[in-house]
Amino acid sequence: MVFLRSEEHLQRWLSEGGYAPGATLTAPTLNELARIWWWSRLDPGWRPRTVEVSQAILDSLSLTSDFWQLRQPQ
Amino acid sequence: MDALDFDVRRHVYFSVVANGRPPTTAETAQAFGTEEPEIADSYRRLHDAHALVLFADSTEIWMANPFCFAPTPHRVTAGGRIWTGTCCWDALGIPSALHTDGEISTECACCGEPLRLAVRDGELTEGADVLCHILVPACRWWDDIGFT
Repeated sequence: MVFLRSEEHLQRWLSEGGYAPGATLTAPTLNELARIWWWSRLDPGWRPRTVEVSQAILDSLSLTSDFWQLRQPQ
Repeated sequence: MDALDFDVRRHVYFSVVANGRPPTTAETAQAFGTEEPEIADSYRRLHDAHALVLFADSTEIWMANPFCFAPTPHRVTAGGRIWTGTCCWDALGIPSALHTDGEISTECACCGEPLRLAVRDGELTEGADVLCHILVPACRWWDDIGFT
């Protein structure tokens, strides 16, 4: 999970690394995801989220493609 | 994970915030008034449950996400300390976890040019043109969390 300065740099990084493209987010979108995802991490009563709750967080940001499915496909 | 594990996890995270680093098993054992092997077993259970990440073949804590305790390009200034984020997602997660503002000094994965992002009141106020890329599909994130 990396930062890149532009789409051109992203494409060059993928090509030079021989990586299959994954998912690209803008920094504001990832910040919103991070804000929700990590907000309760230091709560004294923290308990692990269920997959369903985590999936709902992704869904709330319209991250609904196969790439964002937390469960292995059947 | 059992009740001890949740207590140990809470102690780890509170220690991270207080000291800027995770406690060793010996330090946690001392805090709990118990033996180090019991704490080492707890650390391993927390690792297996993805509640902490240990270095390979070790009980030393590598990640208490979003905080990382190995070098990465992602330095986060927040809450009066400079932290390390494992990845772009965790770097942006540190201000959130600490419920404070933060500044992220990082680099472009392609060219290494410095990049700077800032979070104020939960909003990204600097670095809005930066892109973030995730290679590994969500269902495989924990197959190799270091690569992810």
